[in-house]
Amino acid sequence: MKNLKDKQFLSVFVFLGSLIILFLTIPLIKLFGSVGLISMAKTIIQAEVYNSIFLTLKVAFYGVVFVLITGIPLAYLLAKYDFFGKSLLESLLDIPVMVPHTAAGIALLIAYGNGYMQRFLSFLHLDFIDATTGIMSAMMFLSAPFLINGAKEGFRKIDERYENVARTLGAGRFEAFFAVILPMAKSDIINGALMMWSRALGEFGAVVIIAYHPMVAPVLIYDRFNNYGLKFSAPVAADMIIISVVIFLTVRAINNKKYGSR
Amino acid sequence: MLKIKNLFIKEGSFTLGELSFEVATNSYFVILGKTGSGKTMLLESIAGLKEGVRGEIYCDEKNMTNLSPEERNFGFVYQDFMLFSNMSVEKNIKFSTRFKKIEKSDELFKDLISFLHIKELLKRDVKHLSGGEKQRVAIARAIYSRPKLLLLDEPLSAVDPNLRSSIMKLLKNITKRYDTTIVHVTHNFKEASFLADNIAIMLDGKILQIGKANDVLNKPKSIDVAKFLGFKNIFKGSFFDFEDERKDSYFSVDPNRILFSYEKNDKYFCYKSKIESILDITDHYKVFAKVKKRVVFAKVPKNMFDKLELKETKECMLCIDEKDIRII
Repeated sequence: MKNLKDKQFLSVFVFLGSLIILFLTIPLIKLFGSVGLISMAKTIIQAEVYNSIFLTLKVAFYGVVFVLITGIPLAYLLAKYDFFGKSLLESLLDIPVMVPHTAAGIALLIAYGNGYMQRFLSFLHLDFIDATTGIMSAMMFLSAPFLINGAKEGFRKIDERYENVARTLGAGRFEAFFAVILPMAKSDIINGALMMWSRALGEFGAVVIIAYHPMVAPVLIYDRFNNYGLKFSAPVAADMIIISVVIFLTVRAINNKKYGSR
Repeated sequence: MLKIKNLFIKEGSFTLGELSFEVATNSYFVILGKTGSGKTMLLESIAGLKEGVRGEIYCDEKNMTNLSPEERNFGFVYQDFMLFSNMSVEKNIKFSTRFKKIEKSDELFKDLISFLHIKELLKRDVKHLSGGEKQRVAIARAIYSRPKLLLLDEPLSAVDPNLRSSIMKLLKNITKRYDTTIVHVTHNFKEASFLADNIAIMLDGKILQIGKANDVLNKPKSIDVAKFLGFKNIFKGSFFDFEDERKDSYFSVDPNRILFSYEKNDKYFCYKSKIESILDITDHYKVFAKVKKRVVFAKVPKNMFDKLELKETKECMLCIDEKDIRII
């Protein structure tokens, strides 16, 4: 009787789980099936395509690096300290995940595409509109919360007494952070960075408002679909997906092997 | 010598202090108290890990009060080890060499791994060690930094009971072998009586009694300390019909030293009693008898119990030898 009930329970859960797996994988299988390996290979060797995919991977990576440097200290402060306005700050950080991406693009354009900020960026020899700086900003704006929240959860899991012990052993605060806290939170930070990077790769709405050119892969896919139809856009989409998935799975596999699957 | 002067800290509704005490160099000092009495907070305050601490902390006449934890040179071992999971056992032990120069470090390392039996563990991942192994590594890591003072926070609580006595023996030898002073907090009387040169009893953020281990454990100076130490049968002198200055003092009687009989014995204080309840324990009976409207607790060996045919509601004499009445 007990076994029968267990089987019924598992059958229902497996069936429902399978539905969502099918929903998520069928479009990808159909995409690769309809495009085919030859078409994917022919497309990837086109300069416009590989330049676009490389640009997307590169700019998304720069965005991740920028948020690693600035977002990790913020994540640590949010995880370890209680201060006035903390809840508000945490809510603000989640706003980019909620807003329509085109709206985020407009907001970024208003903030950094004209006025003092534009002049400041020009002073630093950085263009914003139709430039990689603008693309990176759009990607970061919408995906940074994934890294910051991932790192915050990682820091939260680490008992503050590890830092205490490190300090009694002679480590200053910076030293304790870099020698103990950061390595212990590394797995969550890497997973958060991967989530941010993969989210940034797919960013279209905000990027297209700020920079149609140089074309990142999502814009190129849209451009080809708009001008030449499905036949010319699908291979680019398939190439982009396969490259992203390979990089994503490789980094995640290394991370899980080194720090344990969570 | 460690000298604490008027140490005070408030966290939420809990207040610690003001506390003042001294710990002699190379001595083993145990702070004994219930869980939640502020023992860990006191250790963390001494180590400089707490914000908002008032008072003064001196070590060998040097004022440590405003120094950061890394400047104090006080080692700290927590009950759940806090080994760094991103490092091997050896790297954990040698962690302090990254930040300060350790005198005769190679010699010390060899001695530590032999003394604490951790030679076989050096290359192991700390996640795969047993509780006892983790604790030995945590102690080695703290001693390797050559601390003037070693603060141990319930170091044996998370260790398998079978291994506790072996680690206790190691701890006992640390002060002299490694020229350090230990402040150890615990709620375990056995640990305290085995390890301590001096003991402080701490309850609700206050130190109630401090002194030589034997004196504190056997001669509590207040009812609260006596109750905490497990003293039973605490009565005022008037209970024993003392008419002199002892009348208002408190006394305690060990339940093992109480005798029952059916005749009065002139050598003892004997009182009419009525047995209220009896609990059968493996090797004795717990007997609760009413004397002068107070309940007295006695532990009666089984052979004696059978011989006297004691049972509930039975009336008999409850006798106490004067030498077994301990003043509090």
